[in-house]
Amino acid sequence: MAVGRFIVTAVVFALVWEFLARAQTGSMIISGPVAIAEYLTNNSGLIVRAATETTTNAVLGFLWGNLAAMMLAVIVTLLPRSEWTISTLALLVFCIPLIASGPILRVLFGPGPGPQITLAALAVYYTTFLAFLVGLKAVSQNWTDLMGVYGRGRVATLFTVRLRASVPYLFVGLQIAAPAAFLGAMIGEFTGAERGLGVLTLRAMRGLQTDATWSLACVSAGIAMLGYGCLGALRRKFTPHAPVILFSPKRLDLGRSITIQLIGFVSVVGLVFVLWQGAMDAFGLNPFFAKRPGDIFRFLSEPAHLNTLLAALGATLAYAVPGYLAGLGLGAGLAILLMLWPPVARATMPIAIALRAVPIITTAPLLVLAFGRGFTGTVAIVAVMIFFPTLVACLQGLRQTPAQIVDLFESYGASRFQLLRSAQIPAMLPALFASARMAVPAALLAVTTAEWLATGRGIGVLMALTSSTSDYNMLWSCVVVLCLVAVVSYAFVAWCEKKVLGIYANEQLA
Amino acid sequence: MTRADIHCDNIQKSFGAVETVSQLSIVFKSGQTTALVGPSGCGKSTILRMIAGLETPDTGSIRIGQETPRQVARRGGLSMAFQDPSLLPWRSVRSNIALGAELARKPVDRVDELIDLVGLVGFSDHRPAELSGGMRQRAAIARSLISAPDVLLLDEPFGAVDAITRRRLNRDLPPLWRERKTTTLLVTHSVEEAVLLSDRVIVLCPRPARVLADIPVDLHHNRALPETNAPAFRDLAMRVLTALEEAA
Amino acid sequence: MIKPVHLTRRFFLQTSAAGFAASATALPALAANLQPVTFQLSWLHSVQFGGSYIAMKNGYWSDLGLDVSLAQGGPNAPVEPPVVSGTALVGISAADYTAAAVEQGAPFKIIAVAMQRNPFAIASLSGNPVNEPADLIGKKIGMAVANTPVLQALCTLNGIDINQIEIVPTQYDPAPLVSGQVDCLLCWETDLPVAMTVQGVENTTMLMADYGYAVHSQTYIATEESLTERRDTLVSLLKGEVMGWNDYYKDTDAAAALAVEMFPDAGLDPEAQKLQAARQVPLMFSDLTAEHGFGWFTQDTVAENIETLGLLGRQVTADLWDRSVLEEVYG
Repeated sequence: MAVGRFIVTAVVFALVWEFLARAQTGSMIISGPVAIAEYLTNNSGLIVRAATETTTNAVLGFLWGNLAAMMLAVIVTLLPRSEWTISTLALLVFCIPLIASGPILRVLFGPGPGPQITLAALAVYYTTFLAFLVGLKAVSQNWTDLMGVYGRGRVATLFTVRLRASVPYLFVGLQIAAPAAFLGAMIGEFTGAERGLGVLTLRAMRGLQTDATWSLACVSAGIAMLGYGCLGALRRKFTPHAPVILFSPKRLDLGRSITIQLIGFVSVVGLVFVLWQGAMDAFGLNPFFAKRPGDIFRFLSEPAHLNTLLAALGATLAYAVPGYLAGLGLGAGLAILLMLWPPVARATMPIAIALRAVPIITTAPLLVLAFGRGFTGTVAIVAVMIFFPTLVACLQGLRQTPAQIVDLFESYGASRFQLLRSAQIPAMLPALFASARMAVPAALLAVTTAEWLATGRGIGVLMALTSSTSDYNMLWSCVVVLCLVAVVSYAFVAWCEKKVLGIYANEQLA
Repeated sequence: MTRADIHCDNIQKSFGAVETVSQLSIVFKSGQTTALVGPSGCGKSTILRMIAGLETPDTGSIRIGQETPRQVARRGGLSMAFQDPSLLPWRSVRSNIALGAELARKPVDRVDELIDLVGLVGFSDHRPAELSGGMRQRAAIARSLISAPDVLLLDEPFGAVDAITRRRLNRDLPPLWRERKTTTLLVTHSVEEAVLLSDRVIVLCPRPARVLADIPVDLHHNRALPETNAPAFRDLAMRVLTALEEAA
Repeated sequence: MIKPVHLTRRFFLQTSAAGFAASATALPALAANLQPVTFQLSWLHSVQFGGSYIAMKNGYWSDLGLDVSLAQGGPNAPVEPPVVSGTALVGISAADYTAAAVEQGAPFKIIAVAMQRNPFAIASLSGNPVNEPADLIGKKIGMAVANTPVLQALCTLNGIDINQIEIVPTQYDPAPLVSGQVDCLLCWETDLPVAMTVQGVENTTMLMADYGYAVHSQTYIATEESLTERRDTLVSLLKGEVMGWNDYYKDTDAAAALAVEMFPDAGLDPEAQKLQAARQVPLMFSDLTAEHGFGWFTQDTVAENIETLGLLGRQVTADLWDRSVLEEVYG
């Protein structure tokens, strides 16, 4: 029955697609399933070799990135005082755009898959770190008390309780990571890789080979879906137990004084500068393209440079905020929609994964076609680039609604909407806020990309300009400003989170 | 382990502006079972949590023999059954019960005996989600017993247990902890249970918690369950109830 | 038809002597004795670098004692960092990029010029063509905003007000033109128009070099340090390169076929490669190269470049160019 319905849906979908493609033939923007099948048949060898290359790098990046994320989250759990420092450093590393990291990675690794693997790892570690950390904290106080009664400390609690309790959340991170790693490996090929799906995509787009472009997008999406699906199956296998209510008493705000907070902030900034300078020096990177803190400080003390940068920043922020909200809204909205009408999930999820797994240079022309190059188009590009982690995390959040509470609502004959509003959405809040934090740097990077794809203004364009004119001072100044905005926005989102979760999910504030 | 009396000396504990426990001094005798009764929110659980080392008194001190609660906890000498069974949902019943011994670093060799004691034979491979509320509670009690602790803290452990099992546990448990000379603290809302199971009933009045009545129970000269219809039992229960009414 | 200058007899003797010296030291050890050199290309592999592929395939470099690796470029693989770092000995750049990098403190010299004429062009559909700069007025042009100075320079050179052209930021992709989102594209003569032609889209191109835009492109850059420390290697590398490009000139179809054959994983379209190879010829080979050889430049061409670069906001002197390596190659 379900299979039959799936087949009918798929056939209808393919027919609509083919019809749209044929209606648009002249513009060379859409290819239909028939043309794609034909291209894939005729070029199977090429596609299989490229897909193997990209997938191998994506898998390696997936493993390294998630391993690093899990280790960071474990460190934060064992040493809660390090949370702010580690989260900030993780955020900053995530904020470095490819345009700045690409040349460095290529010079460091030389030819070969090093940059692709690194970029795949960088694309996944941050979301996994945040999702896993939410999971490590999502333990009932009863369980930590149980550990306390036996005099067992953080390490034992981590191994006995937290790691196992966090599995559903870890899988959220891993499922978000599956398409992200693939995309990261593909984008990594833009740094001068010899082969792979990313290289072919670039060539196909410039060569007006619409069928090739669409075939590559379909293959990429298919592989990402496979990864997502496998991880979903593993998640279901490892989380047979129903979610439980996590009672935690209200935490008292320890009210760290402003001075202490300020000292903390200054020391993290200092640490960042030391690590930045140290990393560049340790690898002996040439200061021509690997700028140090001192270079940027000198560069920005010139008012003209600072003004250029701030003007660009203004243009970027004008899109970043609406884009960020649109992405979060799209992700959370879709998650709620899928919860209310599960059949919709089966049709929507593949498209969502495809949008996440295919480079934006492939999808942007379609979005521009649909929404234009103005405000709507730009916001749409940003939303498409960042909604996926929110969707996956919120879906999991909705599923975290404790069974007893669902039973309670059903016993009163409550409607789906009442259940959603009063039980499931509050249960989703920790996940929503975690994705709101994940989306901060993602939205900033997405806007910079959308800018050179559509608007032609802002930090994104400034960065594109700097790389062709070797103006690495300006490029790194852009990176610094993006990082600063990301940290401030992150802190603001975290502050809102604290206020809201103080009511709905105290365990997260431990 | 010789005299593990629990000395609460002038302890005081506030949460924010609310003073929950104030200037409280009690000694719980080693090997005795003491029931703490009092109206809801009178600080019974807080006292238990401080003795378990989960909370630290703001002032005053708690000693178990010569040790602090944390020291006792660290050598596996403490265990506690909570109001909520707090089973780990991914572990089976057997494995949840064994956890008590693992955490206390004691041998895990009495699981079957305890499964039998709490009447969970046939359910040892089930996960908590597959059990009724009362069965989960029994598993939690078994978990608290498996480490054979010096100090056993029971925070309304029989709340969700059905009447028949509760009766059976009431019969079987006290001999167990008497035999081991376990110092037991029992928080309960049932006056009958308090008198039935303990050597001493302490009635607390709320906010801040203080001792309103300290009633010794001397019905446990033989190993049999006291006769609840006996006049001596009824007298004691009446005394406790009167004190409780005063507290409320 | 312009013929490239033939290499002198002495050049060949030198080359063969070096090759012989190398091959004399027992063949199996040959590879071990070759000097490894990285040559950083400016973009993905294609017949754009056909001469280099021929040099590699025909063993021109190995005969000269070099083991050259061709490092592919890409959207996020700028040429300058590896050359500055010394991981690549020579990179393919363009005079404007090089001038900008030098302004930022990179010690680069242009040591040879592959594209005598700049490949930038305005591509349009034949139904709505842009044949000369004046046709741009009132049109929508799709381009990377980073290239605005290029369009500005073209306008200045031809007395056109850039404000009369509507700039639409687009990806580097012919689709916006074909789907009618823009009237024309700022692109290379040798890539997007070739793609459109191969896909059957009739198009017109206006080469900017025909309208005064004189900027050397596909230039060979090396650091000053390499020019003194690794001069012999540079000379050998360029020698092989020159020989490769001379072969390329003789048979561009063969060069296209070689590119497709050497990079089976690059997804190169043979037809497009052939057309691109042929279209590159007028940009790379001229009377000047016929007389002096591939890669050559003179004070006059340098002066023209300095003027156009000035319009692009790059103040440079003739010092940016250094012909001494090329002179040794042809010496």
